[in-house]
Amino acid sequence: MIENSFDRRDFLKVLGWGGAAVTLSGCGFTSVQDGVETVVSYVEPPEYAIPGISVYFNSTCAQCDAGCNITGRLREGRVLKLEGNTSSTINYGKMCGLGQAGVQAHYNPDRVREPMLRGGEVLAWDKALGMINDKLSGVKGDEIAFLTGSVSGHVKVLLQNYLEALGTKNHYAYEAVAPSVVRAANKKAYGVEMPRLRLDKAKVVVSFGADFLGAWVSPVNFSQQYGKFRKAGDTGRGVLVQIESKMTLTGANADRWIAIRPGTEGILALGIIHALGAAGLSLPADVAAVSKAYDAARVTKDTGVSAEQIEKLAALLKERSPSLVIAGSAAEGYVHGSQNAAAINLLNSVLGNIGKTIEAPTNVPFPQVAVTTGNRSSVQALNDSMANGKVKVLFSYGANPVFTTPTALKFKENLSKVGFKVVFAHYLDETTQEADLVLPLDSALEDWGTSVPEYQGESAQLSIQQPLMEKLHANTRGVGDILLALLKQRRANEYKDYEDFYSYLRNAVVKNKSALGSAGEDDDTFWTGALSKGLVYFNGSKGSLSAKSSAAGIVLPAPAEEDAAYPLHLIPAVTANLRDGRHANLPWLQESPDPMTTIVWDSWVELHPKTAAKLGIVEGDIIEVTSRSGSIKAQAYLFPGIHPDAVSMPLGNGHVAMGRWAKDVGVNAFGILDQVVDKETGELAFNETRVKISKTGKRVIVVKDEGFIGGSQAGNKIAVRASTDEVELSGEV
Amino acid sequence: MSVSNMLENWSKFRHMHPVDDAPYTEYKWAMSIDLDACSGCNACSVACYAENNLAVVGKEKYNAGQEMHWMRIERYWDEDGREFPDQGAQFIPMMCQHCEAAPCETVCPVGATNHTADGLNSQVYNRCIGSRYCSANCPFKVRYFNWYDYPTTNNVWPDEMTQQLNPDVTVRGKGVMEKCTFCVQRLERAKNNARTEGRLVHDGEVQTACQQACPTSAISFGNLVEPESKVAKQWAHQQVELAAKDAQAKDEQEGGSDLRGYRIFEELRAYPSVMYLERVRESAI
Ligand code: SF4
Ligand code: SF4
Ligand code: SF4
Repeated sequence: MIENSFDRRDFLKVLGWGGAAVTLSGCGFTSVQDGVETVVSYVEPPEYAIPGISVYFNSTCAQCDAGCNITGRLREGRVLKLEGNTSSTINYGKMCGLGQAGVQAHYNPDRVREPMLRGGEVLAWDKALGMINDKLSGVKGDEIAFLTGSVSGHVKVLLQNYLEALGTKNHYAYEAVAPSVVRAANKKAYGVEMPRLRLDKAKVVVSFGADFLGAWVSPVNFSQQYGKFRKAGDTGRGVLVQIESKMTLTGANADRWIAIRPGTEGILALGIIHALGAAGLSLPADVAAVSKAYDAARVTKDTGVSAEQIEKLAALLKERSPSLVIAGSAAEGYVHGSQNAAAINLLNSVLGNIGKTIEAPTNVPFPQVAVTTGNRSSVQALNDSMANGKVKVLFSYGANPVFTTPTALKFKENLSKVGFKVVFAHYLDETTQEADLVLPLDSALEDWGTSVPEYQGESAQLSIQQPLMEKLHANTRGVGDILLALLKQRRANEYKDYEDFYSYLRNAVVKNKSALGSAGEDDDTFWTGALSKGLVYFNGSKGSLSAKSSAAGIVLPAPAEEDAAYPLHLIPAVTANLRDGRHANLPWLQESPDPMTTIVWDSWVELHPKTAAKLGIVEGDIIEVTSRSGSIKAQAYLFPGIHPDAVSMPLGNGHVAMGRWAKDVGVNAFGILDQVVDKETGELAFNETRVKISKTGKRVIVVKDEGFIGGSQAGNKIAVRASTDEVELSGEV
Repeated sequence: MSVSNMLENWSKFRHMHPVDDAPYTEYKWAMSIDLDACSGCNACSVACYAENNLAVVGKEKYNAGQEMHWMRIERYWDEDGREFPDQGAQFIPMMCQHCEAAPCETVCPVGATNHTADGLNSQVYNRCIGSRYCSANCPFKVRYFNWYDYPTTNNVWPDEMTQQLNPDVTVRGKGVMEKCTFCVQRLERAKNNARTEGRLVHDGEVQTACQQACPTSAISFGNLVEPESKVAKQWAHQQVELAAKDAQAKDEQEGGSDLRGYRIFEELRAYPSVMYLERVRESAI
């Protein structure tokens, strides 16, 4: 039999190399012709692998928590490209650049391939799992902790069961750049953490620093809606106003971008309410009482936004309804972040948008599989426990806190106090390097799983992740399989029927087929259907909002005092490509220019030209950015879209480990953040860090895509703009 | 083709497409990009890397202007000296415009770049000798030259990464010019499928990789010959003509018209196959 001497993996290898060899030598002599390699054809090819014909499988994107539904294109058993799944109401067949790069995460040469001990000694899986069992013996439940990112679906179910089996409640779900303060404020104002935002129904969108076209919550969903919002349609072209201190990608697409003094977003929101009242909108008594103090003169003084602008904005909002106001990451990143977000959400209720452009998401009927969203306070809690020596065994999956926490937190130091640290890893990143035991994971395109994204489409769905090809490396394992193996160590009887995670998953999903809208179908039909669609919908009831926005309790501090020693605000920027840094080893993303600065392969400091002139800084100067918690050096970039009181640095680069494309590229801005938190939620206040800047005397050429004349069209008509009164949009195709 | 033949019949060979006596009959591929919808997100650019086996060159070579992004997003600022760019930035996706009278084609000494019967500006890799005249002559600067042999360069396609290469697309070696092809491999496949079934390609049946990824659906692509295709309708509504003899309708009116469609560098008469729709900004705010 052919299988004996030549398995499919080898066959793929030959094809892969054969393909490469042809390309290397252009025309003529390939290594196959040279006899260095052989091509062997299938005697009985699997029916899905017809040479030369592509096949497509549906799955779920794991590059970010939006969980877009994807379709992978395969040829000869290799996955080549990912596209959006056209039947998805999350991403409607579309995908972002980060998602496209999912194939590079899969084929990445720097993936961890074998279970390893600290220092790199390789060991077998049964030894590794046995070691965990040994280390757990004699350890009390509450001395065990599990750190993850956001988790949902059946991996979450197994995780919860494992934690229960270990007798611990210490699950820390950590996401470094999640909108966790906004979630809490939404919960208060609307009764749900993440309502559906209907940009497509809104005539005006006012976003306080929510980069929904770039990196915020579910960017592809929002981008699809945005495309419709910009069309004249029946309701006319939508107007976007973005208010923030540093221009995000979304800000760069606004009809009006308003630069605001950092931290005064809530004040402006109340100022707009005041102006709406003055323009004749009737305000509830409590709202009127609170907003009374925010007259134009004061708000202008505090926020730096002109009275005329506030009045115009209020007039627009009053005239064009419904509108949609979004509280985003820029507004939540302060000590009073919750208050900012509450004031912004109040604007929605004053404008009557709740229920119109802010809708209730569909309920997920199974809380076991619903998402546990990550936040920043959890890692602080874990850190405290570790510092006090309360953690003996730590598991970590899907997080890199050594890289993403401020140095001031001393996470790395505290981590070393944990006796035994197990990290489930794709790369040898900064946290994995500190592990006592490293367990290599399958890539997202090799693994089974389900996910329930936080931001749902038209109705709640269970997205299915299925392998798009065979495993590249024999000794990696799926996270579900690892959890199942660990569970079998504790509850052998309960899980004995499940040979692997796949059988568990299939059983769990099929068992609930009636709740997934397929009561009458036989198991196989249902399961195959689910796999081929890549998603199934829950029979979920439509949720409801409890609009209880009230002005009571909103207390906004006066704008922050000038800080003579550290005069500038540092605004760390979450970019669509690199996010919290977990994708820094994907070369397409490093070489994809940052849309705002067009810089590649590096970090930088954005300064307003006015600020730069004051400090005598020109583009390319290596400057030192010093906060109370540390200092880093990076190239200066003069950027008009930033408040002169602020500077901004992108997050994601500055790795000291991880892989060939990530290591030693740029600097890590997480490191110098002050450990200051939002008063109400305890979440790290991202934008509270104050810095000073000094020149180092060195200068480099900034490597970027824009030409040497920067953003100038040099008098040419290349990218042309018109104002709404100059064009006729109705009737356009 | 002999030189004498070429010289004698020059006007016949050097014509713009479509000539009045020989219009496109089956296909003329064209695009339209709505700059009011485009967010500048770069997804299209990454999708192009994935589809077309584009090399990642690294920081040093990028600095030397040797990047290979067939699709790039240009970002411009207003230049009126305001303190802030308070109407945002101007993004424009830029790739080969598949000019009908392509300035790159006429200067190639070996005819490596030329026009196809379905209206593409094509690049024949194994005919290209690397003179780079085409790149010098392209008004849009969208041609990319292989200064190095990327398949054998360290860390361009190491180890497993070769398995991601699209087998429908050649991997180019050193000394060859390359550029956006309108995803010709996808077009060929669609045309072949249609031909087998004895029909033409339906509108929407084939998408370019950038169009397919684009999260805001800013890019439309299709066949201009078919009047019912979305692209043809868009071009018609905006009154943009493929080979406008003098000026487009929009430019003929004093101060422009209320149409949004335009082509870049219309005055050079390269007759691009890409129409852009102006970005719009609200006047009431
Ligand atoms: S938004 Fe997130 S889930 Fe969607 S394609 Fe991009 S990375 Fe993947
Ligand atoms: S855009 Fe440049 S490369 Fe493309 S056809 Fe025109 S001249 Fe040639
Ligand atoms: S993917 Fe679409 S929205 Fe993004 S830059 Fe390209 S054309 Fe613009």
